[in-house]
Amino acid sequence: MKELLTPKKLIFRVVSGLLVLLAVMLVCSLIGAESISLKAVFNGPGTQAANPDYQIFVEFRLPRIILACLVGAALACSGVVFQALLRNPLADPYILGISSGAGLGAIIAVICGFNWTVWGRSPIAVFAFAGALGTVWLVWFIGRMAGRFHVTGLLLAGVVVNAFFSAVIMFLTSIAKSQQVYSTIFWLMGNMTEEDFLVLWIGSSCVIGGIIALFYISPQLNALSFGEEEARSMGVNIAGTQIIAFAIAAAITAVAVSLSGLIGFVGLLVPHAVRLVFGPDHRQLLPLSGIVGAIFLVIADTVARIIIAPAQLPVGVVTAILGGPFFLVLLVKYSRKVSWLK
Amino acid sequence: MNKWWWLLLIITCWTATGLAIFDLRQSQDYGDTPLPTRADRIVSLAPNLTEILFALGLEKEIVRVTLDSDYPPAAAKKPKAGTFWQPNIEAIIAARPNLIVTLGFEQQKNLAERLKRINYNCLTVNIEKVSDLYEAIEAIGAAAGKQHEANKLVTNISDNLDKLSALVGTDDKVRVLWVVQREPLRVAGRDTFVNEMIELAGGENAIGPTLHKYPPIGAEQVIVCDADVIIEPSMQQKDLKEQQKNANHYWNKFETIPAVANERVYVIPGDTVSRLGPRLYEGTETIARCLRPELFEN
Amino acid sequence: MSVIIDVKNLSFGYTPQKTILKDISFEIKEGTFVGIAGPNGVGKSTLLNLLCGALKPKSGTIKIDAIPIESYNWKTLAGKVAVVRQEFVPVFGFSVIETVLMARTPYFGTFGFENKRDKQIVNEALEATDTAQFASRGLGSLSGGERQRVFIARALAANSPVLLLDEPTSFLDLKHQVGIYDLLKNAQLEKGKTIVAITHDINMASQYCDEILLLGANSNYQIGQTKDVFSPEQIEKVFGVRTFVVSLGREKFFIPLGKFAKDRGQITDKHI
Repeated sequence: MKELLTPKKLIFRVVSGLLVLLAVMLVCSLIGAESISLKAVFNGPGTQAANPDYQIFVEFRLPRIILACLVGAALACSGVVFQALLRNPLADPYILGISSGAGLGAIIAVICGFNWTVWGRSPIAVFAFAGALGTVWLVWFIGRMAGRFHVTGLLLAGVVVNAFFSAVIMFLTSIAKSQQVYSTIFWLMGNMTEEDFLVLWIGSSCVIGGIIALFYISPQLNALSFGEEEARSMGVNIAGTQIIAFAIAAAITAVAVSLSGLIGFVGLLVPHAVRLVFGPDHRQLLPLSGIVGAIFLVIADTVARIIIAPAQLPVGVVTAILGGPFFLVLLVKYSRKVSWLK
Repeated sequence: MNKWWWLLLIITCWTATGLAIFDLRQSQDYGDTPLPTRADRIVSLAPNLTEILFALGLEKEIVRVTLDSDYPPAAAKKPKAGTFWQPNIEAIIAARPNLIVTLGFEQQKNLAERLKRINYNCLTVNIEKVSDLYEAIEAIGAAAGKQHEANKLVTNISDNLDKLSALVGTDDKVRVLWVVQREPLRVAGRDTFVNEMIELAGGENAIGPTLHKYPPIGAEQVIVCDADVIIEPSMQQKDLKEQQKNANHYWNKFETIPAVANERVYVIPGDTVSRLGPRLYEGTETIARCLRPELFEN
Repeated sequence: MSVIIDVKNLSFGYTPQKTILKDISFEIKEGTFVGIAGPNGVGKSTLLNLLCGALKPKSGTIKIDAIPIESYNWKTLAGKVAVVRQEFVPVFGFSVIETVLMARTPYFGTFGFENKRDKQIVNEALEATDTAQFASRGLGSLSGGERQRVFIARALAANSPVLLLDEPTSFLDLKHQVGIYDLLKNAQLEKGKTIVAITHDINMASQYCDEILLLGANSNYQIGQTKDVFSPEQIEKVFGVRTFVVSLGREKFFIPLGKFAKDRGQITDKHI
């Protein structure tokens, strides 16, 4: 059924995937509430009023689509890693407290009414990032008390921290002014806004760098899927691999969350979908999940933009609606391959 | 050099390149945007801003409004640019405006920043109090070259309000409970523009100072507040009589408070009292009619 | 023959109060086939885990190839000692060949791919354990016994001088039981590997093992040549079961006769 992975096959699949991604990006950037034509875009900026097509394309469509790529790739790859580390098919990037940590950071920023902007960006993103990372390390710290890297201990710590922080969020929400509450909830539902150049660029360094680093340790992740004892006898440095994988996955998720709020389903479903079709070998699973995650989120965001134009749906709604049935179809089709369903 | 060092090197170079390009773009000029002599393509991103623009006689110049701009009726026919909470930036740009008027809260503030960064002429006004409204009208008038009309409008509104104040006098303030939502029960607090309207109409808020602008309250507080009048602004225009009946029915269980005992529960049309705009006087007068009906017998 | 596993005064307990292994010392020479036998719960698996570095002893030293086990890094240790534990199905459906290939992880190239030699070693391991026909099937689709052979193949693919096995034939059918022991013996004789296997099958151990480490309760242990260690008296002392010896040529077999064996009276009369 499955042949062994070779470098040639991997490169071929990754390159094809990237080409598909580029095509999807191009098509989606031309779709939107306002119709623009590619020809007009190529006419260049002109004076401000003269070429709105160019402006819409360059200032709004393109940044938004690039953002969707980065966030989709980050969430999908992070999902792959957490599923491998926790040896749990139900793991997603938010399982260890990132979601509630980010939410808490966001609502604290809103309530304290910080008005200063960092490079013209709202402080919510910065606080959300700090909250996400801080919470992950808190969960790690608590989990360690259950023994060096005891998976169950970590999961329980994540559940506890999530519950506690969610309660704090609810408390803060109830004492906040109504408009602030709305802002935070809106942010938490996941949204794609057009970010500016520098933010996208630095975000891309983090996400792409992180994904490449995770690819480097893919063989170790393969071994870890068998359990720590097994991996150790295969010569894997358990502690080192786990720390690197955990740290990078948490970091890229925190970046994704701070840029676009909480978008669910991508981190959970995309790894499974890719695994169903291509198999569990992380050397392939990781890069392909990143690409599929990017494609998925670009399409979801495009749907969110146009389906009730001129208003927009939160992207999280679209990923849930699109993701669920799509995954079901995949599962039925490939269920013979899925051993844990026996 | 092993693969990790290579990765670090590549990422560092990539980031550095990005920073360099950013610096370059900062120092670049987008070219001088000629200042519009007259704003003749205006986008309004809030219903009350739309009303102000119409009141200043700028109907023809308005090219886009938000979905919720429904007054005057001509506004509802204008092309749309998203909603008040989520303006559609593409629609705004596509309309090639030379003046965009926005409010000052989080979402719209971000939007205004973005638009200003790409050299669009954006005016942000904060309208949370009556005095804010006057300032906003003046600011919009100045930006659109309609200072004279703006002055007139402001004077008109404030004169009418002064006359109303004189009519209702400063004694005998009527205690008003302003109910924005019945389940859960939510009222307007003292830190709102509604409160200002109530005071201009000769009333005072039955609720004391609260933490929230629109706090949820319990049945206990309703009884304690001892309101003389309960006003419920209605968001639907039709079936006001039906809504009034429902309201009476609902409030009957609070028969101890004066408002219910004296049958002074009023359901009023909501649009003149839910936004702070040019119809401020109409809204305030409606309230005054509820509080002191005897003054309006003629 | 040099000593490849050198254990001195080893003590271990999972909790500070309870000590499972007390002051155990023994040497295993390179190229020998050692069987570890003993009743349930005496610490055989624990001892195996200590020998492969998964557990740290409370006191005493373990030296692999004359180097203390603590000073190894995981990669080098994996190159010296390979372990086969109980089979299981991992959460994610890897195929047989992917599983066996994982043993070569320490030797992968820069970007995590195997080379020709790795593939060759893997294929040899699959052939030796008679699992080549399953190569592309997922682990979850095999029977327990077939999976156990895959795990043994993985240990063989590590190409290490020492092989530690925890009851390697517990789920195998007769043909494969004999087959695996033949395979291990072959690896010992032809490739000079050192095999240490925990087993409950006294007779297989008696046939194939050069030495036996017999572990009893309270860390009473005895290590020596098979013919010296396995005797009906020793077995009865350690296992609490009476066995009857049958000699066939140079092989000795220990048959436990239960209460309901046919003609029990006759046999016991003859062989006391």
